[in-house]
Amino acid sequence: MRAISKTFPGVRALDDVSLSVDAGTVHVLLGQNGAGKSTLMRILCGAHHPDAGEILVDGRPVQLKSPADARRLGIAVIFQEFSLVPYLNLAQNIFLGREPGGRIPGSIDHRRMHAEARRLLDGLGLDVDTRTLAHELGVAQQQVVEIAKALSQNARILVMDEPTAALSDREIARLFDRIRALKQHGVAIVYISHRLQEISEIGDRITVLRDGKNVASLTPAETSVNDLVRLMVGRQVTTTWRERFCETPGDVVLEVRDMHADSGVRAAALDVKAGEVVGLAGLVGAGRTELARAIFGADRVVSGTVRVAGRPLARGPAAPVDAVRAGVALVPENRKTEGLALMRSVQDNVLVAGLRTLFPAGWYRAAKAARAAADVISRLRIATPSPARLVRFLSGGNQQKVVVGKWLTAGSRLFIFDEPTRGIDVGAKAELYGVIDRLVAGGAAVLMISSELPELVAVCDRAYVMRDRMIVGELKRRGSSNDVLSEENILRMAMHHA
Amino acid sequence: MHSRRPAKAGRYVHIPGAGYLLIVLLLVFAIFGEGFATLPNVLNIGVQGSVLLLLALPMTLIIMSEGLDLSMGAVLSLAGVVLATMLMNGHSLSVGLAAAAGVGLAFGVANGALVVTLGLPPFVATLGTLGIAQGLALVQTGGQSVVGIGDALPALYESRIAGVPFSIAIALAAFLVFWLTLSRTRVGSYVSALGGNREALSLAGVHVDLFHIGLYAAGGLMSGLAALLLTGRMSAGHPTAAIGLEFDAVAAVIVGGTSFEGGQGTLFGTLIGVLTIGVLRNGLNVLSVPSSLQVASIGVLVIAALIIDSTIAALGRPAGGRA
Amino acid sequence: MRTVAYRLVAVALIAAGLALTTEAFFTLPNILNILRQASLTFLIASGLTLTILTAGLDLSVGANVGLSACVAATVMKSSGSIAIGAATGLAFGAVVGMLNGLMVTVLKLPPFIATYGMLWTLNGLTYWFMAGETIHGFSPAFRTLGSGYWLGIPVPIYVMAAFLAAGSILTRYTTFGHEVYAIGANREAARLSGIPVRARLNLVYTLSGAMAGLAAIVYVARLNSAEADIGEALTLPAIAAVLIGGTSLFGGVGSLTGTLVGALTLTLVVNGMNLRAVDANWQPLVTGAIVLLAVWIDVVTRQRAEARV
Repeated sequence: MRAISKTFPGVRALDDVSLSVDAGTVHVLLGQNGAGKSTLMRILCGAHHPDAGEILVDGRPVQLKSPADARRLGIAVIFQEFSLVPYLNLAQNIFLGREPGGRIPGSIDHRRMHAEARRLLDGLGLDVDTRTLAHELGVAQQQVVEIAKALSQNARILVMDEPTAALSDREIARLFDRIRALKQHGVAIVYISHRLQEISEIGDRITVLRDGKNVASLTPAETSVNDLVRLMVGRQVTTTWRERFCETPGDVVLEVRDMHADSGVRAAALDVKAGEVVGLAGLVGAGRTELARAIFGADRVVSGTVRVAGRPLARGPAAPVDAVRAGVALVPENRKTEGLALMRSVQDNVLVAGLRTLFPAGWYRAAKAARAAADVISRLRIATPSPARLVRFLSGGNQQKVVVGKWLTAGSRLFIFDEPTRGIDVGAKAELYGVIDRLVAGGAAVLMISSELPELVAVCDRAYVMRDRMIVGELKRRGSSNDVLSEENILRMAMHHA
Repeated sequence: MHSRRPAKAGRYVHIPGAGYLLIVLLLVFAIFGEGFATLPNVLNIGVQGSVLLLLALPMTLIIMSEGLDLSMGAVLSLAGVVLATMLMNGHSLSVGLAAAAGVGLAFGVANGALVVTLGLPPFVATLGTLGIAQGLALVQTGGQSVVGIGDALPALYESRIAGVPFSIAIALAAFLVFWLTLSRTRVGSYVSALGGNREALSLAGVHVDLFHIGLYAAGGLMSGLAALLLTGRMSAGHPTAAIGLEFDAVAAVIVGGTSFEGGQGTLFGTLIGVLTIGVLRNGLNVLSVPSSLQVASIGVLVIAALIIDSTIAALGRPAGGRA
Repeated sequence: MRTVAYRLVAVALIAAGLALTTEAFFTLPNILNILRQASLTFLIASGLTLTILTAGLDLSVGANVGLSACVAATVMKSSGSIAIGAATGLAFGAVVGMLNGLMVTVLKLPPFIATYGMLWTLNGLTYWFMAGETIHGFSPAFRTLGSGYWLGIPVPIYVMAAFLAAGSILTRYTTFGHEVYAIGANREAARLSGIPVRARLNLVYTLSGAMAGLAAIVYVARLNSAEADIGEALTLPAIAAVLIGGTSLFGGVGSLTGTLVGALTLTLVVNGMNLRAVDANWQPLVTGAIVLLAVWIDVVTRQRAEARV
């Protein structure tokens, strides 16, 4: 790939990025969330078109107009969400759409299909009967089937996106064996991962992307973990959006002890005090959203305690109801699908969480409702021609304000934000930080999940770092070089596969 | 450690269930029902169930694709009226059957277009076509039966093929065709993929929408062809003859173990489901239970099967979590 | 509310068309008859509206009316008291509704399938319960509820008005109503906003059943009889009324007023067909076609809305 550039509305995703992969090598692609890795790979597999630049296979330029074109050229991508059909067996899955024909036109030669599938799986070292149904396999095994599927399409270029995210150590070792076998067959592999430890083990070459640019291309021998982290983060000037940071936090508002959730996430100890903005950092897949949802009660908590202002929260299917009554607010990651009713008005959305608080007897009074809604709209400066406007017409930033706003009428005292400034322009971001600032100044407690390191460093008083669905450390505003709240420390803790 | 495991019995969890239920019912009715366990009665079950099987086979595929076709009963009644009318007017059996099949196919394609192309929810779309088919049948006949269809069809219906009653032979032949198609051709994989992972199918370069419409077309076609047996049995065409039969078909499919989600389904299970419902109705008849209560009991059976289905699914679900 | 106004205009247009082309249309008895019939349809469709507002559905309402009517009539005759019979019918309908609700919330069955199974179960039970008999001959006082007049206007219209008022208050002026809309518009967002979704859904389905029970009593009063097939032809028109009235199958959009307008529209069309001596056998066809049209408009509206997000 040469000099690839791609711009999306408002964002320059890729800027003159070049990447070259030799046959029989593993080329690791590193970079933070949003650095441009997935965009680059989606261009490679034909899902997006570059604005500038070209792609060459075997030295010859190619045009990728669709995923089918990419596949025909031997490019295969294995994403984290697998594309297997649960109730078909492995051979059927591998050859879906390309089943070998039998003698009678229209029929499938099952024997040949299974024999081929057997051969592919043996080559990858997966010793499972080809008649097993896909849903019966574990994640690691499904991944092998995905690889077999790619190979059956004569893939010569294989892209693997976070392949080890859900695997155990032993499974990772076997995956690496298979990758080495693939290398011997001359397959070129692009390997996207955050696990720095693995990279030196399996990678032949490393490319680091930052802010859409290719900032380095080197071999593992030439670099170290710390160097890589520094390359990924770059030199940033941290500006602060907070009026003042929290010197004397108030009482403990949220106290989580030995919590174990159904989703697999664990939290040994987590506290948030009144007046604090506590960050929750970690890479995608580390379990931050799952932790937040477990605290809120949206996911099931299996054991441990979650206390808000001293009172343990109820569990069960109606847990969110109790959480909200106790004063917990959740601003979800996907505001459109989980935070808003797009077909309803700003007023209706802004009041939905506070209905019980505003109208305890159950009678909805239009005048009071209108006043409360207008109050929230002005406090948060939500730009809307009228409270009756349907939320779907608002800009991303204003939609986010509506989600935040619905908790103002509910009298919440603990606000959990999940990627609050994602997909929002700079101006709205600054306003949102102002909102958070005023919330904690008024005595609320804030737990903020974010993947933007500068944001975490600039806004938070403290931060917990998660990795592999556990909290692995806590960083403070003032501390030694190893546990001070800095981008490097966050990244280091989030990535180190100890 | 990782030895070659044979395919787990996971897929077949429901079949033993419905199979056991069938055996239990057979025993109960044989013991308590006078005249139940006789050859004529058993053949009767088969004959009664053959029309149902013709409908339940495509219904299995449609439900596997996470859809539903509530118009089958009405379309079948309409096709029966068309066939009877053609025969009454002196046309040959083949012409009449072709007309009936054509009507069924037209409705099937219409259903497919409504659901796949326009994106209407299947149950409402087919509820609408149910009304239209029903209305057409009523208008055409004025609510009366169409009689005087001649002797050719009734004679064919009463005949036997290799000692097997005509209707049972047709039903088994249909089952064979469907089963071979599903197990020996790509159709089987595609149907499961429609319900299990539709994106995988379109990524594989298959014309997903066309295939999906084809399933509904097959449903309509079978409804039309089933008119052969229905009209043969009644020696007449009646506009409301098969109303509600789609419910039995849905019940048979669900009891047989096909699931509404995920693309999991089994034609063999549907066969057992059809037999189960046939045995249930027949047995209750022998016990002099009124047919209304029979319908109610089938309703309860469906709900029970759904509950079992969702309980098993909930138990099998591993600890959830998002990437 | 604007969309309801448009639909009201459509009703007026249809009425005008009929008035101009059909002689017997614009007479007082006919108009009153239309209103009476529309009121009956509305009673059934009002509970159904609530369930559809939550992005669910209750296909069993017709069958529920049928069975509740038969139960109520039987109890009325055997106990000699209209009140006890009516109360029983109402309670029965509510219980059926509650069972539907439990299937949807606790067993997590898709509403259309759960209520479809319930439909046939109720249907069968009704036929079995009545054993082919008809119950008839109720007191004149009771019959006025369905066929009588008060101040020159058919009584069912008053019942309809009362329930329109009560229902509108429920949907617009209670927190319960707003929560129902929120659940329909985005169930997960409602849950994550602290709304007790399961409890609300249970109540909605129970209310739908209760309304069916109430409609059953009015039907018995109107027909002066109860037999097994009362409820059979009621479900499709009820669904049609709700959909024509602008309530979306996708939930969160719609109103009871809209359902009334929908009931009026449907009744006008049927009335027009009857006055022009169109074979009654055309009705299911026309209703089916109308349902398809209404759903299609719903889907297209939704698609256009989502495209602009």
